[in-house]
Amino acid sequence: MVIINWLRVNWLNIAVPVLVFFGVFSISLWLRRISYNALERWLKEKKTEIGKIIVSATRGPFLHWLLILGAYIALQVSVLEPQWKSLGGKILASIFIAYFGWILIRLSRELIISLYPNKTKVPSRAITVTTNVAQVTIIVIGVLILLELWGAPMTPIFIAVIAAIVVGILAFRDILPNLVSGLQLTQQKQIKTGDLIRLESGEEGRVEEITWRNTQIKTLNGSIVIIPNTKLMQTTIINYGKQPKVAKEPFEFSTRLHLKELTGLSASNLSQLASSLKEVPDTVVYYHTHSFVEEYQFLTPEPTNDFALWVQDALGYDILAERLASIDTFEFSTIGALRQMIIGVIQDFLAQTSNEREAPLGNEFHFIKSISIVLPTPYVAHDLREFVNILRRISIGSLYFHIFEAKLRLQRRTNDISLWLEECLGEKELAEQITRLDPYNYTMENLREIIIQLCEKRL
Amino acid sequence: MNIKINVKDYESIVSKSYIEELSMLARRLSGKTILNINSTFAGGGVAEILSRLVPLLNQLGVDVRWQIISSDTQFFEVTKKLHNALHGKVEPISDDEFSLFLETTKKNLDQIDFSGDILFIHDPQPVALIAKKGDIGRNWIWRCHIDISHPDSKVWEFLKQFVINYDAGVLSSPNFAQELPIRQFFAPPSIDPLSDKNKELPAEVVGSVLAKYGLNQDKPLILQVSRFDWLKDPLGVIKTFELVRKNFACQLVLAGGTASDDPESGEVLEEVKERAGDNPDVHILDIPSGSDIDINALQRAATVIMQKSLREGFALTITEALWKAKPVVASAVGGIPLQVKNKLTGLLCHSIEGAAYALRQILANPDYGRWLGHNGKEHVRQHFLITREIRDYLLVFLTLERNEDFINL
Repeated sequence: MVIINWLRVNWLNIAVPVLVFFGVFSISLWLRRISYNALERWLKEKKTEIGKIIVSATRGPFLHWLLILGAYIALQVSVLEPQWKSLGGKILASIFIAYFGWILIRLSRELIISLYPNKTKVPSRAITVTTNVAQVTIIVIGVLILLELWGAPMTPIFIAVIAAIVVGILAFRDILPNLVSGLQLTQQKQIKTGDLIRLESGEEGRVEEITWRNTQIKTLNGSIVIIPNTKLMQTTIINYGKQPKVAKEPFEFSTRLHLKELTGLSASNLSQLASSLKEVPDTVVYYHTHSFVEEYQFLTPEPTNDFALWVQDALGYDILAERLASIDTFEFSTIGALRQMIIGVIQDFLAQTSNEREAPLGNEFHFIKSISIVLPTPYVAHDLREFVNILRRISIGSLYFHIFEAKLRLQRRTNDISLWLEECLGEKELAEQITRLDPYNYTMENLREIIIQLCEKRL
Repeated sequence: MNIKINVKDYESIVSKSYIEELSMLARRLSGKTILNINSTFAGGGVAEILSRLVPLLNQLGVDVRWQIISSDTQFFEVTKKLHNALHGKVEPISDDEFSLFLETTKKNLDQIDFSGDILFIHDPQPVALIAKKGDIGRNWIWRCHIDISHPDSKVWEFLKQFVINYDAGVLSSPNFAQELPIRQFFAPPSIDPLSDKNKELPAEVVGSVLAKYGLNQDKPLILQVSRFDWLKDPLGVIKTFELVRKNFACQLVLAGGTASDDPESGEVLEEVKERAGDNPDVHILDIPSGSDIDINALQRAATVIMQKSLREGFALTITEALWKAKPVVASAVGGIPLQVKNKLTGLLCHSIEGAAYALRQILANPDYGRWLGHNGKEHVRQHFLITREIRDYLLVFLTLERNEDFINL
């Protein structure tokens, strides 16, 4: 009875806020519908992913926010005591701030992912860190607003927050630049996982992984180099791009070093030279017909074989020297055949010479034996691009081994490079071009450059 | 001797791949100890090269150690005679002196800690330590740094009885090879491009050294660096200069020192000074040993560098000159032809007139001189730098027990 009487007296005080609540809610609902429809049409035209994410994430909560808004206005038009209105308003505002913040937190991860053009290449660690930073920021701002709303003393809180930010910046001062650089690297698509890159410092390899702090590359000798992203952004990078056709078998680079062993044999005239040449091991003939290739890298064209040089310098037989120099070593597939040719040329000359000359004391020909020592290098090429890049950096000894020793000492039908190109990469034409090169007519550096040019042309 | 050297510093000189290969070889010696034994830690070419080789090999990861034999002045007087005799000089060596050599060796056999897998013995002074091989076995290598191409037969026969028991010998020139039942490897000596004697110098330093010795910076400079010794033919150099000076305004510098163990050197210096007379363009510089920067600066300031020796070992002064990209005129003796390839890396001569002709060719054609100098420097880079000597030694250590001609490591 008391309640009915109270309602009869105060019905207007109740009806007005209720009507205002429903009125505001209805109008807002109508406005929400119109604006969301318009927004969806616009998004359809623009095809922006960010807009779609925002629309789908806020459509439901927006309804609740309108309810809070309606309740707030209704509260304000009610006849409640001001202190109750203030308290109710603060409660509603707090609910709204908490709810809005929660929706923002939920949205942050999706929004951050959508900022990247190619999401599959974004390092997951970078997304997590960025999301965490965004979420913490939202929470901190939300809490600060709530505290301000409820009249908490703000100065010490602000000081504490600023101190925390400074500490955070100091703690992450090395990480943040790398993080930003990592995001830039992926966003600008400068390098991608799988690319073969070469840095200004000479490091070269395939990109294995781009993390939020650094980029890992697997170098051509198989080692892993970890480069901070900031450093990577500051350096000049040559990006050779994705891997070309992969070889059936990789090319494993070996290198060849050699020791010179003295035989104790020497010659001071042509007869002794020819006589000893018949007896010495193949490795001696090999040394004296190949030493100039390695000995005179700095000269173009290189001098000729040791026999021709000695015959000219020590004995002064210019014509014989010319004949010996003109023997085309490239034509011979065995050392034995080459030896016979040299002996034949000397004996022909001796047959036409009556008085043999003697080399001056101290200028005798000393027979030296070449001992080849071959060892594997860590360099392995899986495709033509890697092959070229390794070829640029291997030692002369390595190139020498695969070009000269392979054919004449290991009796392979041609040099190792041509064999690999043909059999493992199907590059028959390129292989033939390299096979046709007469390596005795070039310095090793020239030869390296020519092979690189031929391969680059093919690439 | 505290020398701060880093093997990485050589990458820019001989290439990164070269140093990589040294590391690859060094890794294969892991677990082995190499013990060097010679006669002194300081003074002389062997000590100088070991003082740089040992730390570099250690940096590459090879356990290389260095010991010296204990000896006295009398022993060194005998070994000096042996040294001269091996160079072909007639030296009367008594039986007592041979006995003294053996007694000192015997003392050292008891004193030296021979813990090493490979014993690397340098030069004749410690050669008889091979006697220990019978007790401890292991691999023994004799590194002969000196010219033994025409040794005194009595002295050589005395040393040969020890040499033949080694597993291998390492010689500096093919000319030095002897009829021996052991393997003989050829590894020429080398210079260190980063030492005071060979490193790059600022122009101001070169200028100040020229000023210090009162040399004209604007006049072409002909230089011979060697101790004052008749075998270096200093008088021949002055005669050569006088022939050249008729047509070219130039100055001659004979820079060297007098050795305390060579009483003759003082006499030679006096006679050279007398022969030079008061010619203002002939400068005889008696430079104390250890003045490496001064020698380096003089070589860098030179227009042409000469080595008109009558007899020569390897002539590292030529290597130093070539490394500084200087055109070189040198006699075709000893190890010089290994370095100076006539008309390619320098000019060889056999007489005073020939040397004068070669000098005139270079002075009249500076471009030709530069071309020779450039070639000479590259020749040294490939064959006569310390990195190559390290490589040769590593290869000898690794292949000592392998007799094949083609070895896969």
